[in-house]
Amino acid sequence: MTRREWLAMIGAAPLVRAAGTPDAPAAPVSIARCATYDEDITAKLGTMFDQLGGLEKLVRNKTVTIKLNMTGAPSNRVRGLAPALTHYTHPKLVGAAAYHFGRAGAKRIRFVESPWAWAGPLEEVMLDSGWNPRTIASAASGVEFGNTNVRGAYKTYARFTVPGQAYMYPAYDLNRAFEETDVFVSMAKLKNHDTCGVTLSLKNCFGNLPASVYGDDSGVNEPNEKPNSGRLAVGHNGRRQPSKSAPQELHFGQNHDPGYRVPHIVADLAAARPIHLQIIDGVESIAGGEGPWVSNVRVVKPGVLIAGLNPVCTDAVATAVMGYNPRALRGSAPFKKCDNTLVLAEGHGVGTTDLKRIEVRGATIQQVLYRYDS
Amino acid sequence: MRNSPCYATLLDMWMRAVCWVAVLGVAPLWGAPAPSPSDWVPARWQWNDAKSLELLADNPINCLLLKNYSAELVSAAAARGLVTLAVVTPGSDALAVTRKALAAKLTGVVLEGDFPADIAAAIREAAGSAPVIELTSRSHMKLGSGAAIIGTYQGVWPGVVVQQAGHAKSGPTGSVWIDTNTGFIRAVRAWGDTPLWLANEPPAHTVITSQRYLQVIADAQASGARWVISLDSDLAAKLAKRDADAIRDWQRIGQLTAHFERHPEWRHMNEYGKLALVQDPAKGGLLSGGILDMIAVKHTPVRPIPREHLTAQSLQGATMAVNVDAEALTPEQKEILRNFTRGGGMLMTGPPGWKDPTPKGEKITLDPPELERLNDIWKDVNSMVGRRNLGVRLFNVSSMLSNVLVSADGKSEVVHLVNYSDYPVENVTLHYLGDYKHATLITPEGVEKVLEVYRADEGWGVDVDKVSVCATIRLEL
Repeated sequence: MTRREWLAMIGAAPLVRAAGTPDAPAAPVSIARCATYDEDITAKLGTMFDQLGGLEKLVRNKTVTIKLNMTGAPSNRVRGLAPALTHYTHPKLVGAAAYHFGRAGAKRIRFVESPWAWAGPLEEVMLDSGWNPRTIASAASGVEFGNTNVRGAYKTYARFTVPGQAYMYPAYDLNRAFEETDVFVSMAKLKNHDTCGVTLSLKNCFGNLPASVYGDDSGVNEPNEKPNSGRLAVGHNGRRQPSKSAPQELHFGQNHDPGYRVPHIVADLAAARPIHLQIIDGVESIAGGEGPWVSNVRVVKPGVLIAGLNPVCTDAVATAVMGYNPRALRGSAPFKKCDNTLVLAEGHGVGTTDLKRIEVRGATIQQVLYRYDS
Repeated sequence: MRNSPCYATLLDMWMRAVCWVAVLGVAPLWGAPAPSPSDWVPARWQWNDAKSLELLADNPINCLLLKNYSAELVSAAAARGLVTLAVVTPGSDALAVTRKALAAKLTGVVLEGDFPADIAAAIREAAGSAPVIELTSRSHMKLGSGAAIIGTYQGVWPGVVVQQAGHAKSGPTGSVWIDTNTGFIRAVRAWGDTPLWLANEPPAHTVITSQRYLQVIADAQASGARWVISLDSDLAAKLAKRDADAIRDWQRIGQLTAHFERHPEWRHMNEYGKLALVQDPAKGGLLSGGILDMIAVKHTPVRPIPREHLTAQSLQGATMAVNVDAEALTPEQKEILRNFTRGGGMLMTGPPGWKDPTPKGEKITLDPPELERLNDIWKDVNSMVGRRNLGVRLFNVSSMLSNVLVSADGKSEVVHLVNYSDYPVENVTLHYLGDYKHATLITPEGVEKVLEVYRADEGWGVDVDKVSVCATIRLEL
């Protein structure tokens, strides 16, 4: 397919799209070229935030919580490369974001992640990934780090109810850091995903789920605060329920297809815990999967940063940048064996996948197009 | 004066010198002064011509293992003060080969392989005062024998174990698995300070990059042994032609070897860690991929203690101990461990019925069922250790192995890092216990850089920007 043909297809998307929500909100998305992490990422990110209307009105005097993407154990690497060059968000981007949030007046900047099979401090996972949390913390005042895989210092979990008709669970129990926040940011990587086709700002938030409650070794009745597993049994396969302390699956036992389950859970989460700002790291990444455990992943260098104010819109643009139709149905790339998370989130009214309704600022999709399937 | 320490030292030095002259009685004494066996830096020398010795300019190799040699080569080597050792392998002509080598004025011989006792004795007798170095199978090594050098021809080829599609294999520990000889070396060296040589050769039918050579050298040296440098035929042929790339690789090999040889004190430092591993070095300790290697992959500083050397003093400073083969202990040794726990130490023992496996013949790694059982022990060890800092905690080192050593007076520690990946690793962090306020990064590339020391959980921390193949961090009070 030529670039022209691809753009024509994107334009004709309504003909092939899944049933969407015509009045789902739209928000602008900013794109910047960034060939390497040695470029001035702080300046580029500043320009992108300006293109989105400025950070100050969003974060001044607010608590900002940023969900990072640090999927899998830091020791698990693609060809021995640093995780930030393949499947983790890059620490330079993290530091740059901290700087801008601080400069825009955020009172508390909290980076969170639920690291695989880990209940200890997030800083140690960062160190094991080659990040320097001291450097990140020095980028602004009020920087904190939190492991949301467990309850942590809190006494209880926070419950987030899915507005309207939930797909999978009526509500989700998450670490209270997700509640103690005014502005929630998803900082994702521009990647394919073995189960969900793409993993961007929406899918990144599957990691909001604490393994203590939703892990393979979570307690039957109460959370296991020392989880040592992922979320396959509960999330991907539906072989067991989460701890009974949390809301249970609505139609338990009816569907064990990860390609159905994970996109629906992610869409639920996007509705239950709104994502106010999305930052997607597509400078260097991998294609073919989300991490080194997926066969045949390959290193790619799209050289792009994407940011937006609506996760569905941002992910729709990012999916298009990857060379895919963001409204493709199950069976079409990149959603060959799964449902389309973006369309499901659109169905919850989170945002529109219609590229014609999304204003792209900075570089255009065409200018930064990087086909992940080629 | 006779009773003065100064006189005793001088006498001791003089006696050593006399012995050394006797040892080298058959060696030409007209060249540069010959090094003592503990300083021998060995290499299998694949060339026969004197000109090949040009390759040793700016290279610390000073001991050549020769399967074939010419009079010209032997003479030129002697003139340079190099030690030459004829490699003798088991066979009917072993004694004749030995005699021929000594007649040709080689310094001594290396017996490579397991020789029948009577043949080995006859060779030693024929050698007289000339050195005879034995490179046996691991199970035949004469631990604690007082030999000038002990060694083996058996070793694994170090490196990250790669599974299909270029992905690193997760080993039994759940981390990336690294094939290494370090556990074996450390177990053997826990028995005594005798210089240890590993003389395994590069795997056949494999392209060996310079990086892999550097890794095998660092793997041995960081644990206090020396790998007998041995080049594959391709690299040897290119070097003979003075191919520019091959010369560059050779220089890197020399540079890395020199990094360790410049610091002989490292080889005499003690293993450090608050975790002690009680193990019979003549059994499981001789195997690669065993419990020491499993713990090493997790970078938990561990101090191997040979079962035979287990005393209350050997456990001093340890807060945790692992007793691999509980049934092998004597009642007195069991009492020592009981006292250790009474004093607040945590003790973990192998499962009931577990017997520490023993190497046999060419087998130097664990069988899958043994690995499975050992993995259970390792999981318990891992759970016991948790996030505790048992001397040093390292971060971003999944493709590396480390070794922590402490000086006898406790005034300095060194932490060796060996990187087994094909890429340099950036941003390595080290958190350590102890009041070491000064930290220096020393690399084979010649960097000697003072590191900023900062407060960290339970102690202090330093950050290292980049580790190529190997780096050493020296900590001082």
